[in-house]
Amino acid sequence: YQRRVRVGMERYVEEFERKKNNNKDTPIAILAIQVLNDFVSKSDVGTLQQLLEQLKELSTQLKATAGTSNTSVVSGCDLFVRFITLSRGQNDPSSEDILECKGFDRVRKFLMDRGDTFLERLRKSRQKIAQLAYPFITDGVTVLTVNVSRVVLQLLVKAHQKSKKFKVLVTQSEEGPLMVKELNAQGIQATQILDASIGYVMERVSFVLVGAVGVVENGGLINKIGTYPVAVMARSLNKPFYVAVESFKFYRNYPLSQLDLPNDARYEDPEEKNHPEVDFTPPKYINKLFTDLGVLTPSAVSDELMKLYI
Amino acid sequence: MPPITTRPLFCRYLAQCRMMAVSMENFIKHTKVQVAKISPDLTESVAKEELQQSCDNFFRENIYLAGKSITEKAVERVVDGDTILIYKKSQLILHILLEAKARNKNFRVMVVDSRPDLSGVQSCERLTAAGIPCSYVYINSCTYVMKKVTKVMLAADALLANGYVLGPVGTALIGLISSTYNKPVIVCCETYKFSERVQTDSILYNELADPDSMLKTLNEEDTPVSNWRDCPNTRLVNLVYDTTPPALVSIVITEIAELPCTSAPVVLRRGAVKM
Repeated sequence: YQRRVRVGMERYVEEFERKKNNNKDTPIAILAIQVLNDFVSKSDVGTLQQLLEQLKELSTQLKATAGTSNTSVVSGCDLFVRFITLSRGQNDPSSEDILECKGFDRVRKFLMDRGDTFLERLRKSRQKIAQLAYPFITDGVTVLTVNVSRVVLQLLVKAHQKSKKFKVLVTQSEEGPLMVKELNAQGIQATQILDASIGYVMERVSFVLVGAVGVVENGGLINKIGTYPVAVMARSLNKPFYVAVESFKFYRNYPLSQLDLPNDARYEDPEEKNHPEVDFTPPKYINKLFTDLGVLTPSAVSDELMKLYI
Repeated sequence: MPPITTRPLFCRYLAQCRMMAVSMENFIKHTKVQVAKISPDLTESVAKEELQQSCDNFFRENIYLAGKSITEKAVERVVDGDTILIYKKSQLILHILLEAKARNKNFRVMVVDSRPDLSGVQSCERLTAAGIPCSYVYINSCTYVMKKVTKVMLAADALLANGYVLGPVGTALIGLISSTYNKPVIVCCETYKFSERVQTDSILYNELADPDSMLKTLNEEDTPVSNWRDCPNTRLVNLVYDTTPPALVSIVITEIAELPCTSAPVVLRRGAVKM
C-alpha cells in the first residue's frame, strides 16, 4: 500500500518540477500548495486521517526537490494543511462546518473549497505587501537591497508607479545583475555594487529592504547569504532594516546561531556541504517586516505563529 | 492583590508559611475558582476531596507534565561538544541535563554558584553522580569561564508581562555576561510562572531572606560584621530575586511553545495557564 501511494505521488512530484521550470516568477511555496490542492481533489482515500498522512508524505517529497527554498515549501505546506482543516471559516460564520459534513465526498469538497480560498489569498499576498509598504518609499531615498527578490521588486515597481523618485543599490551576491536588469526595465534607477562595498555605500543609504527565504519564530530572517553582514552594517550606522515577506514563509524553527539552521536549508547538497546558500539574521537587527498580515515588528511574528499553530 | 486580611483563609495560611511569591499567584487564582465552583449541596468530606483532586491536577498538569514537555524541547538544544553553564540549583535544569545524558549526548557543565546558600554544590553532586563532567566556580569568576561556554541554561522564578525574567539573584549578571560574549541564553519556565506583574528593576518587588546566613564564611570564623544588629548604620540585605531584561535572553522554553521573551504577554492573553 505504501509503495503504491509513493508511486502515485511521483506523478505529483514531476508536476511540481515542471511547474518550477515554467513559472520562475511564482513563489515556489505557492507552486507546492497548488500541487497539494490538486492532490486533495484527485485523491481516492476514504478518511481524513489518511488524507492528512498522504499530504504530509507528499510535502516531504516536494521539500526534497525544492533546494534551499525548502523552508518556504515546508512552512507553506504546513499552513495549507492547517488552513484546510480548520473546522469553520474564520471570517464566515455561516460557512459549513467540516464536522457536520456527511460522507467523505462532502469533506473533500469542503477541503478543496478551503484550499482554493487559501491559494487565492496567497496569490494576492505580494500585491498586499506592495500596497501596505510603498508609502515607506518617499521621494529622494536610496534603497539598498540584497540579491534578487520578487516581493521587493513588486514593491519598488508599485512605488515607482505612484511617481516616487528614488534610487536603488543592489548587491551583486549571486543574482544581483538580474535584479538590476528587472528594475531598469521598469524605469527605476538601479546600480549594482559589490558585496564588499556595503561599508562604503551605507552612509548614503536611507534604508535597507530585503526579501526573505523564511522568517523564523523569534522574528529572525533566513535569506540569501550576505544578508547578515548588511544587517549588522545597517545597525551600526543606524539605518532602518526592512524585510518584505509573505506570511506563508513563517517557519516553525527557532535557531540560536548560524549552525542551528537545518542542513538541507543551508546547503544545495546536504551530503557535500559546500558553501552555505543562506544565512540567519537575528531579530535585533530587523526594524520592521512588511507582510500581508500587516507591518509587523519581529516580536509580533511569534504572536502570529502562535495564532496559527496553537 | 487585596490586603491580606480580606483574602480567604487558605491564602493567609500560605502567606504565613512563606512570603507570597509571584508564581504562587496563579495557583491561588486557580484554587479560588475551584472553591467557588464547588456545589453547596455536597458534603464537607466530598467537597474536600474535590479540592484536593483539583490541587493534584494543577500540580500534575502545570508542574510535572509541563516539566516533562519542557525537557523534551530543551534536550534538543543540547548537542555533542557543548559546555553548558547553569546557575545554582534548579530541578528543571538538572532534569534536562540528566535526560540529555541519558540520551548519550556528550557535553560538559559549568556550574556557577553564589553565596549565601551555595546550592550549586548540590547541582554538581547530582551531575557528577550521573557521569557528566562538571566544573564549579563562584559568580565572581563568571567572566573568566564564559569564553569556554557554548550555551547558558537558566531557570526562572517568574516571567513578567513585559518580558522581564525574575530569577534567583545573580541571574541578571549571568545574562549580561553571556550576552556580552554572544552566548545563547536559554530560559526554561513553566507557564504557571507567567505573571501579569510588570517591573523593570529588582527593587520594586523583592524578598529578603535571612541576613545572618550571609555571615557564614568558609572558615567559620567570626566576621567583622557579626554584631551588625548592634550597629545602627549597618544592615545586611540578602535579596532573593533579580530581574533580567528580555534583550539578554535568546529563548524561553515553555511547555506550549518556544518563544522569544517579548511574547510573554501573548501567552497571558491566550489564558494559557489552565485554570
